[in-house]
Amino acid sequence: MTTTIQHVLEAEGITKHFDGVFALDGVDLRIRPGEIHALLGENGAGKSTLIKILTGVYSPDAGSIRVEAQPMAFKGVGAAHKAGVVALYQELSIVPNVSVAENIVLGDELPSRGGLVDWKELRRVARKQLERLNQGHIPVHRMAGRLTPVQQTMVAVARAIAVEAKVLILDEPTAALTDHEIQDLFRVLRSLRAEGVAILYVSHRLEEVFELCDRATIMRNGTVITTTEVADTTIDEVISTMVGRRQDELFPARGVPGPGTAVEVAGLSGRRVKDASFSVRPGEVLGIGGLAGSGRSELLRIIAGAQRSSSGRIVVDGQECSHRTVAAALDRGIALVPEERRSQGVVLSQSIGENIAVGNLKAISKWGLVAGSRIRSLASNSIAELQIKSRGHQQIVGQLSGGNQQKVVLAKYLARNPKVLLLDEPTRGIDVGTKSEIYGLIRRLATQGTAVIVVSSELPELIGLADRIILMHEGRISGEVPAEGADEEQLLTYCYGRAAS
Amino acid sequence: MNTAQKTQAENKAAAPPLPGNVSAPAGKRPYASALGPIKSGGTIIGFALLVAAFGLMRPDVFLTFGNLRNVLEQVAILAIIAAVQTVVMVVGNFDLSVGATASVSGAVVAQLLIAGQGTAVAVAGALVVGALVGAVNGYLTAYLKLSAFVATLATMTSVSGLAFITTDGTTLFGLPQGFMSLGQGRWLGLPIPIFMAAAVALVVWFVLRNTTIGRRWHAVGGNAEVAKLSGVNVNRVRFLAFVVAGVGAALAGVVLTSRLASATATSGDSYMLLAIAAVFLGMTISKEGTANIGGTLIGVGILGVLSNGLNIIGVSTYVQQFLTGIIIIAAVAFSRLGNKGVS
Repeated sequence: MTTTIQHVLEAEGITKHFDGVFALDGVDLRIRPGEIHALLGENGAGKSTLIKILTGVYSPDAGSIRVEAQPMAFKGVGAAHKAGVVALYQELSIVPNVSVAENIVLGDELPSRGGLVDWKELRRVARKQLERLNQGHIPVHRMAGRLTPVQQTMVAVARAIAVEAKVLILDEPTAALTDHEIQDLFRVLRSLRAEGVAILYVSHRLEEVFELCDRATIMRNGTVITTTEVADTTIDEVISTMVGRRQDELFPARGVPGPGTAVEVAGLSGRRVKDASFSVRPGEVLGIGGLAGSGRSELLRIIAGAQRSSSGRIVVDGQECSHRTVAAALDRGIALVPEERRSQGVVLSQSIGENIAVGNLKAISKWGLVAGSRIRSLASNSIAELQIKSRGHQQIVGQLSGGNQQKVVLAKYLARNPKVLLLDEPTRGIDVGTKSEIYGLIRRLATQGTAVIVVSSELPELIGLADRIILMHEGRISGEVPAEGADEEQLLTYCYGRAAS
Repeated sequence: MNTAQKTQAENKAAAPPLPGNVSAPAGKRPYASALGPIKSGGTIIGFALLVAAFGLMRPDVFLTFGNLRNVLEQVAILAIIAAVQTVVMVVGNFDLSVGATASVSGAVVAQLLIAGQGTAVAVAGALVVGALVGAVNGYLTAYLKLSAFVATLATMTSVSGLAFITTDGTTLFGLPQGFMSLGQGRWLGLPIPIFMAAAVALVVWFVLRNTTIGRRWHAVGGNAEVAKLSGVNVNRVRFLAFVVAGVGAALAGVVLTSRLASATATSGDSYMLLAIAAVFLGMTISKEGTANIGGTLIGVGILGVLSNGLNIIGVSTYVQQFLTGIIIIAAVAFSRLGNKGVS
């Protein structure tokens, strides 16, 4: 209706839920042509889901998207591409084993003459796009996989502008880049902005956002809290908007940790983790916070024997452990409830009983024979104890809700009565009611003397649930605070590796 | 490392780590479950229709006791190989070398007998050969992380060469009468191989269902990463599955040699593809689409009845082969159709 296009992309009332849990609830996002627009929020705020909807990977349950006032059909990535919305993901952005030129023209019609690829024309087109980005020095005949990370990013950007992208979405584009390379990328993005391309920029690095972006939309819990001019706000204000209010009422009362040390970690290093040292008392709940990729999960995996350490030691009950497998760690009383429920926690195609049994085969077998009756009683006990809502132990786990699947994972490991229980994102993607039950369960185990370590991306969860919190930044422990009365903004500054003020 | 990581990566690709992203959205379930019963029963119904059709066409021949006994006798060796292939496929791999292993074991048992060894020693020797081939497959796949396709394709080729070396490219015959009763003898009026196939199937069924190794096989096949994080030694579990397949294939080779009263370098080769086809047919019976021994036996039955029935109504073997392929495609495609809503 309007003759002037004020917004190149308008998303209205975008709603998406998975299994009854809202990932996005009535999200509005409007992007103007020729602006760099930041999309901010904590992990789990719904940014990735929103991007996947904008790019056609998911279709929303409700809401509409218009690109240049034309409604966009939700018919997969191809349709979004045609409409001019192109996303660059960190890792998937190039095909490493074909030439730069082919990467740039990938998905377009290859220029051809008489059915043969017209290499000359192909390279000319590719070179033209790179020159548009001032990147004419990148050799178009080279295998894309042999370029430096920033050059690969440039190639991906060149491809996006080759298809005349109107909206370019960049998800953490600077994660693998050096400071110098970041500046190169920013120059390119600014020149695209000058050409009128709209850029949606997703990053955890707030300093970059403040350097580069014009406006910012901040999300929390699947909703948009605000859209603001970057010039009108401050980093601290953005952080407190991202964090929001507390949810104290979800959490059980804290307990009193017992005497002594249940588990101690000294100088532990792995691929990401560098020189981590801390200890946990019996009955204590230790929270570990940090951004995605800060090494939290790796730290847990090393302690649980799922990944090798390069140095350092782990002491359980005063005895040094040298376990190198999960089985050995379990035998020492260390259990890890893994991060990805669906790919690491449960076999979706098997029953509740089978899933719980596989972690407890020694306990329910004799001479290699598994007694069906013992699977049944083990599973029935777990179902009753953890209040797993199901039709019985024979129900297939894939049919349960996310929260109940997570309870099955917990049941599998709790049946071994671990002395040290490690939980990686134990409440990700489950509803509030079940979350609260799981918090209660964790605290109950602690009261019985279990040492618990919880990794979570949600700071309010750590503050409400833990006794003590350590924060990680780029593999190192960057801070430690008592959970009681901890301040989210302070924790977040540790997560971002900024010195505490 | 690769296999486990690959499984994990595939799982991640299928299920991005998003809040509450849990299998099929509620709205899609009814579609899947509406087709579910038809789908899971489809293969069995197909089997019944096949039997009925041949029975109607040639009631005088097909549905006689003698002919049904023939069918069972013909499929007994395939059933043994398919049963152990089921184990490997439960673990999420497959073994292309089972046919060649059967051939080489059949040749080994024949050579040992010709060399004057007793039946027990000769059979044991053949089974050891099978176990060794299985161990090589298992080592390559589980520990060196080669893809099962590459590893077992390579061992199939080499083992086939060994079979030619063992037989020197000739047909081995002149085996002692005592050994021949293994494949040609009867008990309660039925050929011994039928009982052997039944015993193997029963053991595989029991082991898969009621033993710790069976539960571990299922867990590794369901999701290797979950199994690893539950304390399962994924490599060893995979390794053992291949050893079982090797021993089973060797047993089939021994029975085959006994039944034919001779051995060649390629006697068992054709069983490989048929065994995999039988397991695939059987997978369509399970609601979750996993390999299962009951389904495998039905798959074996379909292949056996098809071949026997088409013979009786006088269809040439060339056309038979063509039809067999079509039927496998139809069964598997039909089951995927029903699965669409879930995956």
